[in-house]
Amino acid sequence: MTLEKTYFRPRSIGEAVRLAAEYETDLRYLAGGTDVMVNKFQETDTSTCLIDLTGIEAMKQTQQKNDHLSIGALVCLDDLKKIPEISAEFPLLLEAVQAVASPVIRKTATLGGNLLCENRCAFFNQSEWWRQAAGFCLKCNGATCLATGGTLNCFSKFASDTAIALVGMDATITVLDKEAEYTVPLEEIYTGDGLDPRKLDKTALIRSIELPIGRGFRSVFKKLRHRETLEFSSLTSVVTIDQIGQVKIVLGGVDPKPVVVIGTIADDKNELIKKAIKKARIVDNDVYSRLYRKEMIGVYLNKSFEELEQADFLSNKLAS
Amino acid sequence: MERIKFKINGKQYELLVEPHEMLSAVIRDKIGLTGTKIGCEQGTCGACTVLADGKPVLSCIAPALRFDNAEITTIEALAQNGALHALQQKFVDKGAIQCGFCTPGMVMTALDFVNHHPNPSTTEIKEALSGNLCRCTGYKKIIEAVAEYAAEAHRPIRFSKPNKSHLHTSVGVSRPYIEAGRKASGAAEYADDIHVKNALHCKFLRSIYPHAKIDRIDVSEALKLEGVRYIATGAELPVKFGVLPISQDETAMAIEKTRYVGEIVAAVAADTEAIAAAACRLIKVEYRPIRPFLEIDDSLRDIGDSEKIHDYGKFNNNVHKKAELRFGDQQQGLREADVTAKMTFKFEGVNHGFTEPHAATAFWDENGLTIYTATQVPHYLHRALAKTMEVPLSRVRVIKPTVGGGFGGKSDPFPHEVIIAHLARKTGRAVRVRLSREEVFLTNHGRHPSVMTVEMGISKDGIIQVLDADIVIDGGAYGSFGVVTSYYNGVLLQAPYKLDNFGFRTYRVYTNKPQCGAMRGHGAVNSRFAVESLIDELAYQINMDPCELRMKNFLDSNTLTVGQYRITSNGSRESLQKVMEQSEWKKRIGKLPAGRGLGVGCGFFISGSALPIIWNELPQSVVHLKLDFDGRVLITSGASDIGQGSDTMLAIIVAEVLGIDPEKIFVLAADTLLTPVDLGSYSSRVTFMAGNAAKDAAENLKKEILRVVSAHFETPESELNLANNRVFSNDKSADLSWLEAVDRLTAGRGAVSVSGKYISPKLGGDFKGAGAGLSPSYSFGACVAEVEVNPDTGQVKVLQVWGAHDCGKAINPMAVEGQLEGSWHMGIGQVLSEQMRYFNGLLINNNFLDYKIPTTLDTPDIHTNIIETIDPEGPFGAKECGEGALHPVIPAVTNAIYNAVGVRITKLPINAEEVLRQMKAIKVLEATQELSLA
Ligand SMILES: Cc1cc2nc3c(=O)[nH]c(=O)nc-3n(C[C@H](O)[C@H](O)[C@H](O)COP(=O)(O)OP(=O)(O)OC[C@H]3O[C@@H](n4cnc5c(N)ncnc54)[C@H](O)[C@@H]3O)c2cc1C
Ligand code: SF4
Ligand code: FES
Ligand code: FES
Repeated sequence: MTLEKTYFRPRSIGEAVRLAAEYETDLRYLAGGTDVMVNKFQETDTSTCLIDLTGIEAMKQTQQKNDHLSIGALVCLDDLKKIPEISAEFPLLLEAVQAVASPVIRKTATLGGNLLCENRCAFFNQSEWWRQAAGFCLKCNGATCLATGGTLNCFSKFASDTAIALVGMDATITVLDKEAEYTVPLEEIYTGDGLDPRKLDKTALIRSIELPIGRGFRSVFKKLRHRETLEFSSLTSVVTIDQIGQVKIVLGGVDPKPVVVIGTIADDKNELIKKAIKKARIVDNDVYSRLYRKEMIGVYLNKSFEELEQADFLSNKLAS
Repeated sequence: MERIKFKINGKQYELLVEPHEMLSAVIRDKIGLTGTKIGCEQGTCGACTVLADGKPVLSCIAPALRFDNAEITTIEALAQNGALHALQQKFVDKGAIQCGFCTPGMVMTALDFVNHHPNPSTTEIKEALSGNLCRCTGYKKIIEAVAEYAAEAHRPIRFSKPNKSHLHTSVGVSRPYIEAGRKASGAAEYADDIHVKNALHCKFLRSIYPHAKIDRIDVSEALKLEGVRYIATGAELPVKFGVLPISQDETAMAIEKTRYVGEIVAAVAADTEAIAAAACRLIKVEYRPIRPFLEIDDSLRDIGDSEKIHDYGKFNNNVHKKAELRFGDQQQGLREADVTAKMTFKFEGVNHGFTEPHAATAFWDENGLTIYTATQVPHYLHRALAKTMEVPLSRVRVIKPTVGGGFGGKSDPFPHEVIIAHLARKTGRAVRVRLSREEVFLTNHGRHPSVMTVEMGISKDGIIQVLDADIVIDGGAYGSFGVVTSYYNGVLLQAPYKLDNFGFRTYRVYTNKPQCGAMRGHGAVNSRFAVESLIDELAYQINMDPCELRMKNFLDSNTLTVGQYRITSNGSRESLQKVMEQSEWKKRIGKLPAGRGLGVGCGFFISGSALPIIWNELPQSVVHLKLDFDGRVLITSGASDIGQGSDTMLAIIVAEVLGIDPEKIFVLAADTLLTPVDLGSYSSRVTFMAGNAAKDAAENLKKEILRVVSAHFETPESELNLANNRVFSNDKSADLSWLEAVDRLTAGRGAVSVSGKYISPKLGGDFKGAGAGLSPSYSFGACVAEVEVNPDTGQVKVLQVWGAHDCGKAINPMAVEGQLEGSWHMGIGQVLSEQMRYFNGLLINNNFLDYKIPTTLDTPDIHTNIIETIDPEGPFGAKECGEGALHPVIPAVTNAIYNAVGVRITKLPINAEEVLRQMKAIKVLEATQELSLA
């Protein structure tokens, strides 16, 4: 257990970022803490200053702004279903939420926290003692990756399920750090480097998540996991099609970042699927083998397209 | 430290709290509300759930400082003015509480859920509870309790009175556990809830190598840390111990070398847990790794110049035990068989997964050593502590508090128990310890990983001609129960089917991994799986219904097996018949939609081992009763209730014999100073043996009562009855209330004490190994499972399980159902998802996230049937029900997979990848066959 030395619970965003700048070298924001506290317990997180954001009411608001819905980063996963705009326009997000952790955890876990949930690996999410016994891997400042034997790259898995759904719907996030406030497409903050999976300043705080209104997404969400609850993803797949026929495939759990393939309904879907499979850098660091997860990408995506077509067919039939 | 103010259960607290302290620790350790439980510390088990400002929170991953000014509600707040909350009462009434360790978290989660979902469906309840693990109940009764509570919750009265209908109870009537209310309210004291004054805290330094010489241990830096009181290393505790007298191969800490990753190398006693942990990090150990043996094959082979794991046995390998028995003529059997099948099976190790981590507190005083510890076998621990502490048996007292499940995993004497006893002696202080979930997994003693090749042959008419099993089990670093396990893997195949030509050979090998031992269904679960799979295979080969084939081969009642087990009552046929009917087997088998299938499995198990582990002439169980002027009967028994309900069973039996309410009975159990010896809760022996001892004791007390009443009224004893809290003659010329009768009995004499005992009859043959698996009685059972296999992913979902188990007589039907449902649930875990996975000898999945116990959502609908055959020697006809039910469910599931998609499972747990690969292979095969036909 890491012994934190400092704990703050600021009441405003400004105060949080100011504190963050002051403690920049050793800081961890805390939202629900459902990821952070477990990592602290296992000592994969050794920061000594915690800035607990849960006192900041301004980050719990959801509002419609022009052509998008802005969801406060501190909204609890479980509360998202109570927001009518989300159930009406973005049910995909709720499907993803439902697949995260367990019901009780979802009452504490936040959307912002989920997007920044640490990448995972069977050899990394372990106690300090375990990692010492196994030989510290790259992600614990060691020399080799235990999953691949390589010395250069870490392929810890991207863990967030909601991020996969949000990227599928072209979400952006609004970030505030010690320098500036800016809005970026969510997928752009993920680096694909398992050691340092996010390009965000240490002091960066996600204020809100924005979803574009009126894009008419149709979508299919799937998650591969051993038990029907509690589990982190072994593969999360999302396929969305918007009104103008943009097709977006997003995969989680099979690469250090979301795997994204964009096309249109005119494209050969098999080619899109092939591309997605090729892009996923899966290694053996999960309960399911690399090969199985790879095979399942194809199975899940094919099934997703089938379901989308069926839904299309049905809605056409209903319309006619 | 920072100051924090909050209200807990309406009371204001102002405390100093560290930034890293979790809410659970503050509630339990600082405030002393120990109803909130800690099962994992990683947000995966739900035991620690409390309400914060009305919202459920996992307090083990919630920093306490966050709750400044909050209102926290813990389980202790629910009962009001002595009455349980209606939901708690439902848990009690429905038998949703076994060990009770998950109960506080379940209740808090369910309460919040029902508050927000007044009319929930079963699916919604399952979903809502899916983050709360229970290892005992199979969730069925928990879900029922929540559903009923929800259905009744809109009634104006929220606090219900205790259900009076349970008060007058006897054998065969369902009754909640006598301590269920205490468990529901959070008042029950588990080992870690007991606080002995001024106790030190103990933490361990554990080996990071599977097999390594220890050259030097330097504790000097650690000793300098303020608050460190003592550091012990292996050399201080040289006396070896082990649960079996023939396998005393373990020391409390590694001495010259370590034999698995996780073995304790040093132990620190310090003022706080944090200081002890910090001190462990300052201890420097110089290891010299030597060749580890991690796989069965490596341990079977000659090891050349390498060092053996134990300097034991005459061969240059790591074989620990070879057990072999042969009956009839297997060659002849093979010749006579029309069809034979031979398959090799592989099983991963599994862990008990009890929700309460090991914990204990030890201290010494003028009476010698006292230890409170989460144990299933106070008696064997008593002996082991006397041995390792080198004190007379009369200087050791083992007290079993409420225990949060065991399943065999708390039935060895453990290093941590020996070590804290030693530290307590060295420091003159009480010393407490609690293991983290990771440490619990490292302590293991779970089911052995095994490999076996089994051959069976049958004649065309479906009669089994021969069974031959060649088995190797991976024992890990130490002996534990392994010698027994080695035999059980073989001998427990000689029923429930009649066999003339039967043989087996088992090797148990040492490997450099955490040791394996006894786990529910001990020894026979894996080999039973092999046999039930082969029978299924053979049935398909000769085109016979697998149920019918089994029916043809069952042993009769009152017969001997080939290895001379005395079978008395036998409900095999009734059990199978029942599940066939209920699952509509005949109507549905072979007619299900694609991807769906039905499978069947049967099994049997011992009702206690007829022979004690340590040979002596003591009875297997002794029960004392004391009746004093107040009319209350005190039962003292060494039997360990670990959630299976044995205290209640004792009370029911005594109440039945004496014709009084169980409320007039007080059970004092499992304190080796105060209670007579019972060998412990293992091998499913308690109801049969302690139950018989209790019955014997009660009958002795009854005799005393009859004698005085008969003398007083000059009525023959044969005319007198004890019932309805009265003692009366048939003609009512004598008619005394219980208290009046007690007055007569105690007049001029005072309290009356009587004793009862159980001694197993002499059983079995006189060949070497004849004693293994001998039991005065055996339980029998059957399961049918229905599964669905996803053709694209190979994922298997168990949809339904129909189970029936012959328990002789259900003393407490609700408790029996609970045992059965828990067993089936545990079997479903082993077949679907549970396994201990290693990386270079290091356990990868040492937590409840990665060790996958089925949640509510993974558990199918379970249909429970109790079969009663009234065993001639069981108390009121009762026999085992806590372990045997586990055996048949596993093959039932995999046989259903075969029925669904033609894939024969030979490796556990099932692996979707493997199922998919085989489904594809079958398709290819079918396609080529079609081609060649065309
Ligand atoms: C048993 C268990 C199962 C789980 N299963 C899943 C699962 O299936 N899928 C899944 O996705 N997750 C899972 N999780 C992880 C975790 O619960 C979720 O990811 C959750 O959504 C994290 O949210 P949080 O608010 O608790 O984040 P926290 O733990 O508070 O924070 C997570 C990270 O985000 C940062 N952060 C949080 N909020 C902000 C913000 N506004 N601005 C900047 N940085 C911020 C923190 O500094 C930290 O690095 C599981 C956890 C447990 C314990
Ligand atoms: S992928 Fe390799 S480097 Fe990355 S966490 Fe896993 S073992 Fe470590
Ligand atoms: S102890 Fe908190 S979830 Fe297990
Ligand atoms: S009663 Fe649920 S874990 Fe024991």
